[in-house]
Amino acid sequence: MTPGWLLLLAGAGLAAGIFSAFKSPRLWLVTTLIGAGAAFAAAVLMLASGVTWDWRPGFVIGGEALHLQLDGLSAFFLVLLSVLGGAGTLYSSEYWSDKAHPDSAPAGRAWWNALLLNMGCVLLCANGLHFLIVWEIFTVCAYFLITRERQRPATRAAGWLYLASSHVAMIFLFAFFALLAARTGSWELGPMRGHPELAPLFWLALIGFGLKAGIFPMHIWLPSAHANAPSHVSAILSGMAIKMGIYGLVRFTGWLPVPPSAGWVVAALGVTSAVLGVAFALGQHDLKRLLAYHSVENIGIILIGLGFAMIAVSHGNAAWGQLALAGGLLHVWNHGLFKALLFLGAGSVLHATGTREMSRLGGLWRAMPWTASLFALGATAIAGLPPLNGFVSEWLVYLGLFDAVSGRGHAAIAAIVAAMALGVTGALALACFVKVCGVVFLGLPRHEIAPHVHECGWRMRLPMLVIGVACVVIGLAPILFWPALATAAAAWQPELANSIPPAPLVTLGAFHLALAALVILAAAFLWRRVRRNGLSRAGTWDCGYAAPTARMQYTAGSFAGIITGWFDWILRPQRHEQPPGGNFPARAGFEEHTPETVLEKIIEPAGSLVLRLSLAVRHLQHGRVQSYIFYLLLGLAALAILAVMGGAK
Amino acid sequence: MTTALEILLKLAAWLLLAPLLPGIINKVKAWVAGRRGPPVLQLYYDLAKLWHKGVVLSTAVSPAHVIGPAMAWVAIAGAALLLPVGQTGASFAFRGDALLFVYLLAFARFCIALAALDTGSAFEGMGVAREVSYAVLAEAAIITALLTLCVQSGTVSLATMLAPSAGAGAALLAAGLFGVLLAENCRVPFDDPNTHLELTMVHEVMVLDHSGPPLAAILHGASLKLLLFAVLLTEAVLPLGKLSLLPAIGVLVGSAMVVAIAVGLVESLLARLAFRRVPLLLTTSFLLCLFALLVAWKGGTP
Repeated sequence: MTPGWLLLLAGAGLAAGIFSAFKSPRLWLVTTLIGAGAAFAAAVLMLASGVTWDWRPGFVIGGEALHLQLDGLSAFFLVLLSVLGGAGTLYSSEYWSDKAHPDSAPAGRAWWNALLLNMGCVLLCANGLHFLIVWEIFTVCAYFLITRERQRPATRAAGWLYLASSHVAMIFLFAFFALLAARTGSWELGPMRGHPELAPLFWLALIGFGLKAGIFPMHIWLPSAHANAPSHVSAILSGMAIKMGIYGLVRFTGWLPVPPSAGWVVAALGVTSAVLGVAFALGQHDLKRLLAYHSVENIGIILIGLGFAMIAVSHGNAAWGQLALAGGLLHVWNHGLFKALLFLGAGSVLHATGTREMSRLGGLWRAMPWTASLFALGATAIAGLPPLNGFVSEWLVYLGLFDAVSGRGHAAIAAIVAAMALGVTGALALACFVKVCGVVFLGLPRHEIAPHVHECGWRMRLPMLVIGVACVVIGLAPILFWPALATAAAAWQPELANSIPPAPLVTLGAFHLALAALVILAAAFLWRRVRRNGLSRAGTWDCGYAAPTARMQYTAGSFAGIITGWFDWILRPQRHEQPPGGNFPARAGFEEHTPETVLEKIIEPAGSLVLRLSLAVRHLQHGRVQSYIFYLLLGLAALAILAVMGGAK
Repeated sequence: MTTALEILLKLAAWLLLAPLLPGIINKVKAWVAGRRGPPVLQLYYDLAKLWHKGVVLSTAVSPAHVIGPAMAWVAIAGAALLLPVGQTGASFAFRGDALLFVYLLAFARFCIALAALDTGSAFEGMGVAREVSYAVLAEAAIITALLTLCVQSGTVSLATMLAPSAGAGAALLAAGLFGVLLAENCRVPFDDPNTHLELTMVHEVMVLDHSGPPLAAILHGASLKLLLFAVLLTEAVLPLGKLSLLPAIGVLVGSAMVVAIAVGLVESLLARLAFRRVPLLLTTSFLLCLFALLVAWKGGTP
C-alpha cells in the first residue's frame, strides 16, 4: 500500500473512532488503534523510501485548494504521534474508563480522536490557511481534554490559562501566515529560501510556535495544564502537542530564510529553558507538575541542537551542525517516548493512590512493581544516562558542540557555554529523578494511603512496556534510526541529503549493548551471591534510633533543598515557617511552595495593570445621554478638522 | 584474539590495582599522625571478608538495594575500559567517548543513590541529597576540563585528548581536577571517610545499610573510581602519549602514588569543611578548570 492509502485508512479509522466513541468503547478502541497503526506504517514507509508523498486532490476548502504532503520531516513527527497516540488510546481505555468517569469518558474519547486527527493534519498540511484551521482545532481539542475534570477549580484555571496562552500564540501565527501569504501572493507553503525579505517573519513564528512548545519564559501554561489533565492526555500533550511547536519551528526555519541572529537566539533560549526548566522541576512537590517542568528542560535540549544547526547552516553548513541537528531531532523522539512513559507511570500512581503529592507517597514498589520498574527505566532515560536513548541524543548534541569548539570557529564560545549548560542540566536532571524515584517508589509509605493500592491492569501496563522497549532499542541500536534522522534532516535543508552516519554511533551502540548485558549479568550474579551467603532481614538501622517512623524519611522538599537554595533568585519559593518556641515547644511547622514565577511575578501583575487601565477607560461610559451627544459632537468636529486640514482627496 | 586478551588483561590490572590506593592514603595519614596504621593491603582483606559474609537487608528495601551496587560497579569498570593507558590506547576508543566516560560515572551515582534511598532512612536521604547536589558542580568542572582538553587537542576522543599535555594551563587544570577528585571520591575537605557522626557524612552515610557482597561491590567500585580520577588527572597534565609503553606505565604508577600521597597529606593537614562552604570550594575547582580553558583558548594555535 502506498502512504496515501495508509493515510486515508488512518484518517478513516480516527474519524470512525469519533463517531463510535459515544456508543461503543470497544469499536472506538479498535478503529483508533487501526488508525494509529496505519499512520505509523505510512510514516515508516515514507522514511524508508525517502519519497515525498504529495497530494493535490482538487478539493477547495475555504477558497484554497487542498494540498497534503508527507515529507521526511512530517513523517518523522508522524511516527512519534502514531506511537504515542496508539499507546495513549489503549491506556485510556482502562485509565479513564466509562465505569470510573461515566460523564466525561465518552466525550473524552471523541476529543482524543479529534486531537490525534488534527495533529496529523497539521503535519500534512502544505497550505497556510488549512494549517491555521487544523492548528486551531487541535488547540481547542486539547483544551477540552485538559478540562475533563472541570468540576475542580484548579482544572478550570489550568484550562483557561492554556486556552488564553494558546490564543496569544494563535494571534502571532495569524500574523505570520497572513504576512507570508501577503508577501508571496499565495497561501501555498513550500521551500522559499530565495526570498530574503521573508526573514523577519521568523520572529513571529518563534513566538507563535515557541508558546506552544513551552520555551522558557513562554512556558507559563504548561505546568498547570499537564498537572491537571488526565494522565494519558498529559502524555500526549508533553510527548506530542508541545512537539508541534518544535515541528513548526523546524519546518519554517527550513522552508523560509531566517535572520542572521535567529540561530543564536534559538540556542540561547534552549540553554535558558534547559537549565531553568530543571531548576523549577526540582522545586516541585506535585509529581505531574514536576514532569511538566522537565518538558521545558527537554525542549531546551532540542532547541540547543536546532539552534546550533541553524548557526552552522548560516555559516556554510559546518559538519558539526548536522550532528547537533541529528541530536535535537532524535531528542524529539526520545523525549516524546520517555516523557510519555513517565506520565503514564505517574498516571498509574495517581490511579492507585489518588494523590499526586509526592510527600504523601513512598514505598510503592511493593504494590506496583511493574509501574515502579518502568518508571525507573524512564527516569534513567530522561536523566540522559547510558545505555538508554536519552544519552544517545544528548551525546549527539554534545558531539556537535565539542566539534564546534575544537574547530575554533565563530560559534566556539557559544558552544562552550552550551556544553557546560548541558552538563549542569544533566546532573540536575539526575538529582531530580533520584528524588522522584526515591520518594515515590522506594522507602516506606509516608502516609496511610488507601488500602486498595494496586498494580494497574494490562491495558495500562502494555503501552508503558511498549514505550519502554522503544527507549531501550533506541539506546542499544541507535544506528538503526540514523536513516530516519537523515531523511528528516534532508527535508529541513536539502544540502544535508546523503549525510553519512557518524561512525562512532555504531561503536556507541555496541558499547551500550555490552553494558546492558553486563549490567544484567552482574545484577543476577550479585543477587545469587547474596542468596548463597545467607540473607537475614532487620529494620533499617537508622544509626541506632530505636523508634524510626516512616514520616522521618527525607521528603521531596528536603531532598532538593540544597539545589533549590542555589536557584532561590529565580524560583522565589514561598516559605511558611512556624519555628518551635518557648520552653516547652508544642507545635512547629514548615511549608515551602515554589510558584510559577514567570506567571505570578510578571504576567499576572502585567495583566492586572492592563485591567486597571481598562477600568479607567470605562469611566467614559456612564449612561448620561448629554455627554454621549457631546462625544458625538467632538467626534464630528475631529472628522471635520481632519477633512479640512488633511486635504481630503 | 589478542585484542580480547588485551582488554581482559587491562581490565584485570584496573580491578586488581584499584584497592591499593586507599591503602596508601591510609598509610600516609598514619605516618603523618605518628601511628603505624593498617596494612596497605587492608582493603583487599576487607573485600575478601565481605564477599563471604552474609547479608542483612532492611525490611524496607526493594531488589534495587542489591542490584544498584552491581550496576554501579559495572558502569565504573566500563568507564575504566574507556580510559587510555599511555600509548597503548584504551580498550574502546571512539569519537565522543569522553562524554560516555562522564555519563557512565553519573550512571553509577544514580544507581548507588537509588540503592541508598531504598532504605527509607533519613540519614541515607541526607547523604544522597548532598551527593547529587555537589555532583552538579563537579560535573560542570569535569565538562569544563574536557572542553579544555578538546580545545588543546582538537578532538573529542580520550585517547587523543589525553596524549599531549594540557599546555600552559596544565597547573590550573591539575588543581581543578584534583578538587573534583577529592569531591567525587569522598575525601577531606569535602567529606570525611573516617567520621563517626552520620549527620556530617556524604558517601559513607549512603552505604550505612549495605553489608556483605553488595558493600564489597560499592567499596571496590569506589576505589576503582579513585584510581580512574588519579589516572585521568595524570594523563590530562603529563604528555604520556609521547612516551613508549614501559616509561608511560612507570610514570602512571608513580603519579598515582603522588596523587595518593597528596590526598593523604590533605586529609592529615586539613579539616573537613562546613557544608555550606563545600559549594564554594567546588566552584573554585570549576573556575580553575575554566581558567585552564581560557589559557588553552588563548595560548593554543588555531
